[in-house]
Amino acid sequence: MLEIDGLTRHFGGTRAVDGVSLRIPDGQMVGVIGRSGAGKSTLLRLINRLVEPTAGSIRFGGRDVSTLRGQALRDWRTGCAMVFQQFNLVQRLDVLTNVLIGRLNHRRGALAHLASLFAHFSAAERATALATLDRFDLLGTALQRADTLSGGQQQRVAICRALMQQPRILLADEPIASLDPQNARVVMDALRQVNRQDGLTVLVNLHHLDTARAYCDRIVAMQQGRVMFDGAPGELTADRVAMIYGVSEAEFHGHAAPLTGSGIAMPAGALA
Amino acid sequence: MSRALSADEVAAWRSRMPAAFAPAGAARAWRLFWAAAFLAWLATTLWWFGVTPPRLWNGLWGLGVIIRQMVPPSPGEQWVEILRGLAESVAMAFLGTAIAAFVAIPLGFLGARNVATNMLFRFSLRRVFDGFRGIDQLIWALAYVRAVGLGPLAGVLAIATADIAVLAKLYAEAIENAERRQIEAIAAAGGSPTLVMRFGILPQVAPIMLGHALYFFESNTRSATILGVVGAGGIGLQIAERIRVRYWDEVAFIILLMVVTVMAIDWISSRIRRRLIGA
Repeated sequence: MLEIDGLTRHFGGTRAVDGVSLRIPDGQMVGVIGRSGAGKSTLLRLINRLVEPTAGSIRFGGRDVSTLRGQALRDWRTGCAMVFQQFNLVQRLDVLTNVLIGRLNHRRGALAHLASLFAHFSAAERATALATLDRFDLLGTALQRADTLSGGQQQRVAICRALMQQPRILLADEPIASLDPQNARVVMDALRQVNRQDGLTVLVNLHHLDTARAYCDRIVAMQQGRVMFDGAPGELTADRVAMIYGVSEAEFHGHAAPLTGSGIAMPAGALA
Repeated sequence: MSRALSADEVAAWRSRMPAAFAPAGAARAWRLFWAAAFLAWLATTLWWFGVTPPRLWNGLWGLGVIIRQMVPPSPGEQWVEILRGLAESVAMAFLGTAIAAFVAIPLGFLGARNVATNMLFRFSLRRVFDGFRGIDQLIWALAYVRAVGLGPLAGVLAIATADIAVLAKLYAEAIENAERRQIEAIAAAGGSPTLVMRFGILPQVAPIMLGHALYFFESNTRSATILGVVGAGGIGLQIAERIRVRYWDEVAFIILLMVVTVMAIDWISSRIRRRLIGA
């Protein structure tokens, strides 16, 4: 169980996350929706402790994780793997090494640390990485450099890296915002597979309500750092969306009302 | 993938994709060969120059004696001369770098692959840069002292000549790494080649150019010192004279002044960079 209480983060005068409280049971797939700047990313980064909270607490399995330091903090981060919008693979390393990065914090002791510095990984670790890549249909790319892969492939490699951490929670920050619809579907399917088969808790930030409705058990809608809705996808009706955001669902997605003829004034004969 | 793989499964993966476990035989042998060649080269040069522990030890001892004579540093009696020489060195570095930084801008554009598309022209220009870069500042200084006589003018010309080629090469590389999409947009909007350079490339590379120029100014302040030794103006002559008569305390004073000057320039140039680049 992930318990978030009164979590707040200020950046200068703006409150990116403002008193958020959530209870997320193990194994749930939660979609966090909201427009850009609603505080979705900051919320996920607060949980991974990439951003420090201004106030409030985060507890996991009864333990306060918002004050951890040093090795305990690194262990917590390994336990709640991050997947980023821009994939954040190390472009000049090959895919296999990128995936093996997920094992770094599992290797203990000065000697293992030295081996890591020289990028020496055991046969068992390499085999596990290959098996993970194979599971997402990426085995053929294992020895290619990460920057030779398409966006959809890179995001799946990022998911493999996350799984190699053997996390309890997967935090996905806008994982499909940079992908085309086809690849977006493949990546969302991969996240759901991880949630259903491995039993990981998945928190995924999404732009689109439809994606959240199709994949998530629960939807959290944010606006200006606050949670405005928290419930099953079925409860988030068009009326609720209009109430929370003050616009229709189509407008929420940025499809502005159709232009009514006026358009942009053109100099006469400019295109003649 | 939380379950650990059994030894058999690991072996199966190894036989399915051996390249993922260790570099192939040829690649491994090649790596070992280069490692051995590097070590052999290192050992040969050490042997050639007779680098032995006792020689290093005696050298360090001699250096220790000199450092003891430097304490406490003293300005001597000619401190006005020293300050004048230092100011002259900084002025030489500034003038020489400024000339080089401006002349190198058009040359950098001409030497960039994405601007000068004529292969033969670009290739020849780049080889000319290489030629100029092959000649050190000090050699230029010796030549200019004969050509224009003793004094700071020779130093300024030496700094400018030596740096034009280096800066032009660095500028050309920065221009080649400029993002194509932004350049394309200016061309697509109907911009002429010159205007594409002005609005598509220059905004991208200007901060890099400025950064290089400021770094060269700082570096030239240091190297302008040595130009004085060959008579090309600046503080160098004063240091050389004092070393000849072993006034190490006065040498130390000048060195400290130079360190402070370079630190001040570094501080100012980092302020300028932050102000103009916004980073």
